[in-house]
Amino acid sequence: MSAAVPAARPAAPKAGRARLWFLVHSWAALPLWIFMFFVCLTGTIATVSQEIVWLADPAVRARAPSADARLLGYDEVLAAVNRASPESVVQSISRPVKSQFALSVRVGNPDGTSQSIYVNPYTGEIQGTDPSFNFRGFVRALHGWLLMPFTNGFNLGWYAVSLLGLPMLVSLITGLVVYKKFWRGFLRPRLRFGHGARVFWGDFHRLAGIWSIPFILIIAITGLWFTVQAVLGDLSISISSEGAPPIVAREDAPYTPDGLPPRIVSLDEAAAHASEYLPGLQPMFVSLPGNAYDHIVVAGRGAYPLLFERLHVNPYNGKVEYVRRVADRSALELFTESMRPLHTGDFAGLWLKLVYFFFGLLLTMMVLSGLLIWTKRTAHATAAMLRRREEEPDGSVAELETEGAR
Amino acid sequence: MSTARSPSTRRAGVPAWKRWLFRVSAVFVVLPLFYLPAYFHSQELNRGTKGLGERELGEIAVGPWSVRFAEWRVEQPFRNGEAGYAKSFTLALCDTCAKQVKAAYLRVGKPRNLRAAGSIFFGSPYRQSVALPIPERVTADAELWITLEGWDGSVHQAALPLAEASPITIEWLSKRGNPT
Amino acid sequence: MTPTLRRTSATLARALAGGLLCALAGAAAAHNPVCTCESVDAQRIRCTGGFSDGSKAPGVTLDVIAYDETILINGKLGADSTLVFNRPKGEFYILFDAGPGHVVEIDHAEIE
Repeated sequence: MSAAVPAARPAAPKAGRARLWFLVHSWAALPLWIFMFFVCLTGTIATVSQEIVWLADPAVRARAPSADARLLGYDEVLAAVNRASPESVVQSISRPVKSQFALSVRVGNPDGTSQSIYVNPYTGEIQGTDPSFNFRGFVRALHGWLLMPFTNGFNLGWYAVSLLGLPMLVSLITGLVVYKKFWRGFLRPRLRFGHGARVFWGDFHRLAGIWSIPFILIIAITGLWFTVQAVLGDLSISISSEGAPPIVAREDAPYTPDGLPPRIVSLDEAAAHASEYLPGLQPMFVSLPGNAYDHIVVAGRGAYPLLFERLHVNPYNGKVEYVRRVADRSALELFTESMRPLHTGDFAGLWLKLVYFFFGLLLTMMVLSGLLIWTKRTAHATAAMLRRREEEPDGSVAELETEGAR
Repeated sequence: MSTARSPSTRRAGVPAWKRWLFRVSAVFVVLPLFYLPAYFHSQELNRGTKGLGERELGEIAVGPWSVRFAEWRVEQPFRNGEAGYAKSFTLALCDTCAKQVKAAYLRVGKPRNLRAAGSIFFGSPYRQSVALPIPERVTADAELWITLEGWDGSVHQAALPLAEASPITIEWLSKRGNPT
Repeated sequence: MTPTLRRTSATLARALAGGLLCALAGAAAAHNPVCTCESVDAQRIRCTGGFSDGSKAPGVTLDVIAYDETILINGKLGADSTLVFNRPKGEFYILFDAGPGHVVEIDHAEIE
């Protein structure tokens, strides 16, 4: 960075500072542009990956037989799956946020495979199973950690991607400093066509930039949080206030005279507990015990839509043995646990996903437009500099400043 | 793709560190291609279409029951935070005992009793897994003990040499200087 | 969240089970029991319990059991996740017990 300092000559301190800011702005993301572009693009696709699957695969759509059709309860869904494949073991049922999606029921099959079964939420009809290629998971893995395996803690890809939050944040701040009186851009938006590519992309870069201030800020900060999260995880530093994980006591799981599993609490009963303990909760996820000492877990979103609330029901006696509400979280946890939903925008429904998708596209285009401006300008500037070098050695500041001030 | 295609005049304006940064960032974009096969292998392993694990050990009799047992990944033990190192194993209960077995546990060394039977398996009767802590003091002749607890209260056990269950773990232990 | 899920037994299994749990940031994630014991002085032993992700274990059971299976001390960890007790005579082991299948066993010979 110190290489920039010579520009700040005592003769013109203000102009020098502007030039410095401008240089920092161009350095922050430019050398990384191809990686930044890739991550922004894959992230943009990831925001709507579920919807892309919806468009591509009719089995994940929820078709209501009639306008007044009633949604099935969890026990009815369980029964429907058990009827269709009696040997499979249901592990969880999830109800997507949006009513236009089928229920996704996770099962373990006798051949050792596991899969998701798409179940019509109104009729219980089995509409299909998830394909072996999980598009949504793939896009997430590509965007989030470059498909690298997690062998020992967080991988290099995770760190590399999340650290991009830093140049993004620097780009935003320096961009706003360099773009003098940027708020005027809100009042008098300018996007000039027909003045050549350089002018158009310059206008676009500034216009998209100022309208994306909150979005870029959110993505950069939440992105950097993922770095912090990885560091904490890899150093085994816990900020959790949860305490010991809930496990069913040995004496609660009875031995049976016939040597077969006892009946357990019904899922609807467990879900009813959820609304009792967590009023306003929309149960979106129910998981069945993963072994004899595991709870039935009901989870969903409550009044604060970003976070999940959940409760653990003892499968043998129906007692609620653990509740994790929004109110149980520390202020720090509220903040840190809000980071991921803020990054993905998946907590409010389709409209927010589309907003994220749109701004994601803008951000992706800003990487490209920044690059285009740089290539065009640098070619100019270098030519100009070479010319000037022959005439007077001191005149480069003014030109750069106007570039930045546009 | 490369700044190198630009004319030499512009090249002069781009410092070496920036060009290196660019190259490194371009490598990150290409890297996923390199990891693609491993990614799909993991997906298939998670889905169970590649069998119980990367290395299946076949049927092991545990009292009147039996399990199919597998090393989840043929990899060295992984770092499990504060809990030290761990290795994942999977098992499938026999068709006839799937409903009779209440819980399956795994431990390095013979357990003193059911309460100390070790780490519990999690999953369906057809495929359940455990991340077994591998303590530093484990020796190459150590045995893995499988404990099955029945819904009728019966407890059955079987042992298999760690060297058989995971040769790579033995290799790893000897590299760490543990007595063999 | 898949990454953190890969790391412990419950979490690996949940990852296998897939589903929405991975979205429950940190929910059931990362929980293998951890316990260490050390001699404070000639008489006393201090045990500290916790979980693999670094979280604490206040109130979790820690029993001191003789080799003949007599429970010598039926303890619970304090608010600071530790328990200090007098070293019993004879041979014994310590069992940190967060629930079935979530135990750490420490032999008296391992305590330094």
